[in-house]
Amino acid sequence: MDTKALNQRVSAARRDAEARGETFYPGPSRIHLASFPPKERWDDWVELDSKAWPGRRVEKRYMLVPTTCFNCESACGLLAYVDRETLQVRKFEGNPEHPGSRGRNCAKGPATLNQITDPDRILYPLKRAGRRGEGKWVQVSWNEALDDIAARIRRAITEGRGNEVMYHVGRPGEDGFTERVLAAWGVDGHNSHTNVCSSGGRAGYHFWMGVDRPSPDHANARVMLLVSSHLEAGHYFNPHAQRVIEAKQQGAKLIVFDTRLSNTATHADHWIAPHPGSEAAILLAIASYLIRRGLYDREFVRRWWNWEEYLACEHPERPATFETFEEILRGLYASYTFEFASQESGVDAAALEDVARTVASAGTRLSTHTWRSAAAGNLGGWQVPRTLFLLNALLGAVATEGGTYPNAWNKYVPKPIYVPPHPTTWNGLTWPIEYPLAINELSFLLPHLLKDGRGHLEVYFTRVYNPVWTNPDGFSWIEMLTDERLVGCSVALTPTWNETAFFADYVLPMGHGPERHDLHSYEQYDGQWIGFRQPVLRAARERLGERVTDTRQTNPGEVWEENEFWIELSWRIDPDGSLGIRKYFESQREPGARLAVDEYYAHIFEHSVPGLPERAAAEGLTPLGFMRRYGAFEITRKVGALYETPVPLAELQDVHVSRFGRAYTRAAKPPDPNIVPLGSPEPDAEGRRPVGVRVDGEILRGFPTPSGRLEFYSRTLVEWGWSECALPTYLRSHVHPGALEHDQMVLISTFRLPVQIHTRSANSKWLDEIAHTNPLWIHPRDADPMRLRTGDLVRVETEIGHFVVKAWVTEGIRPGVVACSHHMGRWKVQGAGQRQAMATVTLGRAEDRWELRRERGVAPYASVDPDTLRIWWTDVGVHQNLTFPVHPDPISGQHCWHQAVRVRPAGPGDRYGDIAVSTQRAHEVYAKWLALTKPAERHSPDGTRRPYWLMRPLRPSRDAYRLPDRRTPEPAPVAGE
Amino acid sequence: MQLRAGPRSAAMMELWRALGALGEAPGPEQIRLAQILGLPGRPEPHEYTEIFVLHLYPYASVYLGGDGMLGGEARDRIAGFWRALGRVPPVEPDHLTTLLALYATLGEHENAEREPARRVLLAESRKALLWEHLACWLPMYLDKLREIASPCYRAWGEMLGEALWEALAQPGRPDALPLHLREAPSLPDPRQVGAGAFLQGLLAPVRSGALLVRADLARAARDTELGLRIGERRFMLDALLSQDAPRTLAWLEAEVRAWIPRHLAHRDAVGVIAEFWAARAETAADLLARLAAEGPD
Repeated sequence: MDTKALNQRVSAARRDAEARGETFYPGPSRIHLASFPPKERWDDWVELDSKAWPGRRVEKRYMLVPTTCFNCESACGLLAYVDRETLQVRKFEGNPEHPGSRGRNCAKGPATLNQITDPDRILYPLKRAGRRGEGKWVQVSWNEALDDIAARIRRAITEGRGNEVMYHVGRPGEDGFTERVLAAWGVDGHNSHTNVCSSGGRAGYHFWMGVDRPSPDHANARVMLLVSSHLEAGHYFNPHAQRVIEAKQQGAKLIVFDTRLSNTATHADHWIAPHPGSEAAILLAIASYLIRRGLYDREFVRRWWNWEEYLACEHPERPATFETFEEILRGLYASYTFEFASQESGVDAAALEDVARTVASAGTRLSTHTWRSAAAGNLGGWQVPRTLFLLNALLGAVATEGGTYPNAWNKYVPKPIYVPPHPTTWNGLTWPIEYPLAINELSFLLPHLLKDGRGHLEVYFTRVYNPVWTNPDGFSWIEMLTDERLVGCSVALTPTWNETAFFADYVLPMGHGPERHDLHSYEQYDGQWIGFRQPVLRAARERLGERVTDTRQTNPGEVWEENEFWIELSWRIDPDGSLGIRKYFESQREPGARLAVDEYYAHIFEHSVPGLPERAAAEGLTPLGFMRRYGAFEITRKVGALYETPVPLAELQDVHVSRFGRAYTRAAKPPDPNIVPLGSPEPDAEGRRPVGVRVDGEILRGFPTPSGRLEFYSRTLVEWGWSECALPTYLRSHVHPGALEHDQMVLISTFRLPVQIHTRSANSKWLDEIAHTNPLWIHPRDADPMRLRTGDLVRVETEIGHFVVKAWVTEGIRPGVVACSHHMGRWKVQGAGQRQAMATVTLGRAEDRWELRRERGVAPYASVDPDTLRIWWTDVGVHQNLTFPVHPDPISGQHCWHQAVRVRPAGPGDRYGDIAVSTQRAHEVYAKWLALTKPAERHSPDGTRRPYWLMRPLRPSRDAYRLPDRRTPEPAPVAGE
Repeated sequence: MQLRAGPRSAAMMELWRALGALGEAPGPEQIRLAQILGLPGRPEPHEYTEIFVLHLYPYASVYLGGDGMLGGEARDRIAGFWRALGRVPPVEPDHLTTLLALYATLGEHENAEREPARRVLLAESRKALLWEHLACWLPMYLDKLREIASPCYRAWGEMLGEALWEALAQPGRPDALPLHLREAPSLPDPRQVGAGAFLQGLLAPVRSGALLVRADLARAARDTELGLRIGERRFMLDALLSQDAPRTLAWLEAEVRAWIPRHLAHRDAVGVIAEFWAARAETAADLLARLAAEGPD
């Protein structure tokens, strides 16, 4: 028997079958150590009804329809099991065809079922009937709501007040659709949540490589270094966690920096629990170790760091040689010893050295990641990613197998059917002049900026966002939202009740993940893929031959989806096309008709996704049909080190190479269907565009930075007044021990619970049952002197107020630090709202002093879902964020979440869940942090508001960057300026 | 054990996976695989049930456990092996199909691994699986399969045997017996422990050295001209013994003794493992002979 021939025969047959897009090995079996229904049977998949078993054997027939999860930003693939008899979704499981999640999900994926069957969800458009926040609503038609909102927007645009229209988004869940809507309207009205989230992380990466996000190749790493638990227990949890574990199975080492014993830390080979804010000191000690011992990749540093620019600018008197730079480099970080890092962090120096040795052993297979956590917690936290990436840059572990990539190389954003031009205005409410280097909108300052008289909002949309609850200083948000002088019309686009929607004028129901269209791509490994979120019941009905023209036809009640909503709203703003808006929402197939989502996505899939049309054709499908059938498509994998790619000759015309090697060309940029956001370095003085960088005589693609190299030295920071931050360095946090009073501790408030979703899990009964409260983690050494035991009430005092919470005495937290998860503490005043995880509270106000008192927790209740009678928990946590003032970092703009607090046993009058805040005091803290800034009007080197090369959501036209001419008085603070 | 991760050591993984897939209940994929492999006929559900559900249960614990039943320490040991690899043990960690799939997976990882040290580690894991959890029972299982299976599954078993012999021929045969066998209890003497424990032991291959399936007991009834009572194997055996113990014991002695050369036929491939099984069969046969000679009590 020739087993070799047999082996080859099977391999060949498998390759053929897979090339045809067929499953070769049986799906639900032990063969691949996993269970997935073979895709050939997705139209008619048979399973036994678990509810009938064991009494009866009942077969259930399903249509399996892919979509993507919307419960975090990972966009993992889901397969909806649509019952062929009832055409209802019975469950969600993983989509094995999704390259990022590979058929696996965390708890949040299957819990999507709870969200779509939530008995408390919003099913119809609602309009406020009483005062804002009074809780009185009337059902209105979509037409009424759309006409009112469209008229307001049209008026604002035609009266030159376009920037009074603002769209404030939490979880985008898509790649630029709504930004383009705003661009089509010509308004600079995009506002994201990012400065309460990841802009500190983004800033650190952006200044290094011109891309604001990392893409660690965990699966192939030898050493993984994670600063925070957040990433692999929260954001990108599932796609990253599975690859982290894969790497560990292959023998890779995992290092986790986390003050708290997080889920991720429990898997670590090295768990480092530093004092919050000291992370950069440790990272620099590791860097110093690599430098001192010559363990770095000299050739990589020589070729790819902008050391020549650094020497020329900072040491012009020294020889411009690499050896000079190395000598200076040794000196720069010599003081970052393990002893110094130990003193700052409270972690034993020997343990830190041990970690450094492990890092050094990684070579080019060092994957590192930080996102929120330390970068989002501390003043100067943006230097944490900068110092973390320094380790990659030293080891040459940049875009290598097992290294860390710029995310843009592992992401694909297909060019859509229309790309409207940049708005010509600048919105000072989102991009205030004090923060020229902020990576994202200063969204959390909005109430203060409005109170300062900097503008007014005519129409304010919140979408998958709940600033009253999510942002710091929520009472200031309530004051803003209830003041009709500041906000003319507030519209909450949400599938479910939230604390912000309670204060809105309109609450418009938008679909959950399986009830809407979106397109996305995220960096989760060294490859590029797109995922297609689709309304699964619509797709199921279309598979059965029905024609669906509006997703409301298949969604529950009158729940809509945003793609269709924005198209319709845009038509109503510009019904005759005279504003030049309507043309971006018109069909190309049927001129004069509205653009339908089918045409919108079909255009993208047919024209902007390489390989998809061919792959679809091989299966006899249209590209849209393929995406509707499989939900995802991998465009490429193993992208590799793009910076080393030689620039093609065709792109090199009339080339000019700058002193430091930046190459500019007159050749036009070749069309690229991938419009993933990148830094956009300036052209040279004669208008040539930057095309690459000369390295050892060859023009290579390089990085999208001004120098074309990795910017160890940021001239941008120097030119905008921050020369002390030009290099990766350690900035002492606002919660550094030296900044604390003797009786203060640090409160970490940012950590996630792996089974919860920021503001949208109050309607997921399975998740709520697993995690529904947020006690204060406190070490026995801190608890004992106060005679605190687990369950005792404590009062936590911040700069602007206090909250009362239960203690959890645990050794899983560093002494001197307390922690409380931000996930919990949802509340409602009365009436509408989620009943599974929202406490009922009363709000009290006397001038600037606010109080929130918990009246009752949750309890069982009768509904269409019998499980709501089985609710056994009552405690849903405490809303601590209300008691935090804003802490905008003067450079990144990131809200610095960590709080200096006093923790005391609760007094006789304290009750669980009590909150007290002074918004006047909150405004004073805002002013104190504002004073740390270096405003563009005083520090801009070129008369602009912001370096043009920095990435910016919804980038305005170049003219809008110019600072107002100070020789003439600035116009009155209207139009959002 | 001396191991080398050579280019051929982890070959044939596609074949291993395909053969594993064929160990599942037949569906369209199994039918296609049977065609690709050129198996005679096609795998039929009733044949699958007859072989794998009624006679040759495809679980290592049945053949390696002291009770001759599913689960127990043998399954725990195999689950521990999964955990040692850093994998979560599946629901049935000792199912033949699962073990073949794991073998293929380890081999594929080994083939894909570029770093020599990790490659050796993966090769060691794969060989540990081969010797500790497959080679110690599969030869006997396949031997029996050949005897009772339909043509399609018989050919499948022969193919699996061929792949197994090739893998076992690679360098790195261990000197020691697998832990399953080292720890295996022997066949108890009914005169000391009673008939119940003895019958249970007789039906536990690792104690008796013999594999007695339902078809064998039906044959015993025919050969001894005793009445066959349908039921579990122990019930069937008990019924035979109650009718005519000496004749049944004599038949069992011959049946068990016949396994000695069958085991030793694998000595070249599995060495001490074959000797272990042969010794177990010989001990059991001798005991049966003594019992038969002692008469009906």
